[in-house]
Amino acid sequence: MKKLIIILILCFFSAVSWSQEIEIFGYFESQLMGANINNEFMQLASNKLRVDMQLQASGNVSFGANFDYITYHGKTKWNILEFLPESVTAEAPTLNYLGYEINPYILPYENRNFLDNAFVKLSFKFADFTVGKQQLSMGTGYVWNPTDVFNKKDVIDPTYEQPGHNAVRVDLPIKNDFGLTAIYAPTEDWKNTDVLLKLKGHLLHFDFSLLAIQKNWSFTDSRIFDPIGLDFFKVNTKRQILGADFAGELFGVGVWGEYTYNEVKTKENEKIKYDEAFSVLGLMSQYPYQPMNVPQEYYELVLGMDYTFDFQTYIMCEFYRNTSAKQDHQKYNFNNWMHYFLAEKKSIAQDQVYFFVQHPLTDLINIGSSYIFSISDNSSAIIPMLTYNVFENVDLSVFGNIYLGKEKTAYASNLGNGGMARMRVYF
Amino acid sequence: MKKPIIFILFTFIIVNFVFAQQPTAEEIVSKVNDLMNQKTVYGKMKMTIVTTSGKTRTFEYDSWSKGNGEKNLIRYTKPARVKGQAILMLNNADDIWAYFPRTKRVRKLATHAKKQKMQGSDFSYADMGSGDSFINDYSAKIIKEEKKEKYDCFKLELIRKKDIDSPYSKMIIWVIKENYVPVVIDYYDEKNPDRLLKTLVQYDIQVIDGVPTGKKMVMYNKQDNTETSMEMIEVKYNEELRDDMFTERGLKK
Repeated sequence: MKKLIIILILCFFSAVSWSQEIEIFGYFESQLMGANINNEFMQLASNKLRVDMQLQASGNVSFGANFDYITYHGKTKWNILEFLPESVTAEAPTLNYLGYEINPYILPYENRNFLDNAFVKLSFKFADFTVGKQQLSMGTGYVWNPTDVFNKKDVIDPTYEQPGHNAVRVDLPIKNDFGLTAIYAPTEDWKNTDVLLKLKGHLLHFDFSLLAIQKNWSFTDSRIFDPIGLDFFKVNTKRQILGADFAGELFGVGVWGEYTYNEVKTKENEKIKYDEAFSVLGLMSQYPYQPMNVPQEYYELVLGMDYTFDFQTYIMCEFYRNTSAKQDHQKYNFNNWMHYFLAEKKSIAQDQVYFFVQHPLTDLINIGSSYIFSISDNSSAIIPMLTYNVFENVDLSVFGNIYLGKEKTAYASNLGNGGMARMRVYF
Repeated sequence: MKKPIIFILFTFIIVNFVFAQQPTAEEIVSKVNDLMNQKTVYGKMKMTIVTTSGKTRTFEYDSWSKGNGEKNLIRYTKPARVKGQAILMLNNADDIWAYFPRTKRVRKLATHAKKQKMQGSDFSYADMGSGDSFINDYSAKIIKEEKKEKYDCFKLELIRKKDIDSPYSKMIIWVIKENYVPVVIDYYDEKNPDRLLKTLVQYDIQVIDGVPTGKKMVMYNKQDNTETSMEMIEVKYNEELRDDMFTERGLKK
């Protein structure tokens, strides 16, 4: 049935394309990922077809959409508990209320097909309005973007495209060097709608932005599992953010930075609901459970710099601080890890540095490597990489990931050393 | 007695006449600069890279330039791999932004990014949008007059001025006397002025909208033995271009 739907959608695209000047493009991506888990090398392969369409309906109106179809093969179920030390996973209950054994910590990779983006853009002299599911990217950072509350980047591959988000976006230019952006992302209750206001400008060869954001934010207690709703317990909060970013140049070196001050507000009834759920968790086991700590205020900071040498080698360095994360790795608990995996927090360690170096080996081959060092727990990871433009529209990328940290640290070797090869064909 | 005086006077007049006709190095560079940096330029370009292994890669892009080369916008149209990627250079490429359509991100780049190769080609971004660099960043002198690529040319040496951060320490330029087209340019290493990096040659010079234009140019990389050709599929000079094209908003269109 799904295949039939896809064929129908593709036929629709073709028919529309025939009748109007619609552009259809995209790529096919085949990927193989491997990781050494408990002395076994596990493999996960995926195939992704992305079909983009774009239509300039008139001088003022354009439409964009893309459809993704992804299949997974190999080890499609990954047990999160296998990656974490026993002292941490001891917190994860494996019995439900009725005493039956459960494991809700299996991360499934299931075949998916979905409309990732679908939006209409209305362009006028005084403003642009974009309505629908669209990519929303904020911030000047390369690996970490504290001001980007919509996405979380993968430190191994930070430039990979991000998913679409349903929103109304207004971009209001103020002369040529300034502009105002407003984003309204509706939620179930209009009072809790996510909103973002951004004032951006350009002064003395520097770009800068000031931001104010209000976003619904959930903190999951992954130890409390609802067997009926098949979900973990979530504490719903309202996150209010004041932020700023900049990008420019000092003494020939590229520099950028981002800062956010975050205030997390939890309603009284949410606290009561959580206390009730937590008390049940305590009854189920002898384990000395502690309630989840929801941060009330914290800040995030990114500072980065880059340079290109005459011999074409490019180097970059980025520092990230997140005061909602911990400095002592002995205190990382199960929920800290799960908040990181679920993208509720951008890091598990408080201070980290990212180094990147890239050099064009030939006209078609680039080699490079990233090195991430967690200052908070002295752990690190090396990510060597190679990209090769095999044919005109065919790119091959190979990444390795070698974790060097001790057990319990942010980049501990038990997170699974391995790598990934990706072939992408554009059309 | 009269004869030597007449001879001296005659010689003085001739020499004066010849030198009056001969433009100075600064005047030549100024005319080259004016020719290269028209009020506005739109170009549809095809760039073909021949790699060290002999493979070719072809790119097509649209480019717009305004304010005598002070503002430049480049948007790739082919191949599909890079379609929609765009570069905006303002203030003679002192401010650079790159747009990546797959992530919808605009990234502000520092001026060192000008050293990077344009899509792996033998052209750097500095070669594409440096505006008045010939005048502002270099001191010029005429070396001699000679034939180059079948044209009568002025041969000029441009030496980078002190404390200027320009990617080439020296350039040797052959400028066609008739129309001031820089038919050949030799680019020398940033640190070593004796090390020839690459040579640009303009071919098929035609007058378009009153502007002598090399319809094809080839950059020969002398170090890597690669070459990149740039063909003008279409070019229009001095047509009205809106200012808001050269903004972040215009970059993302």
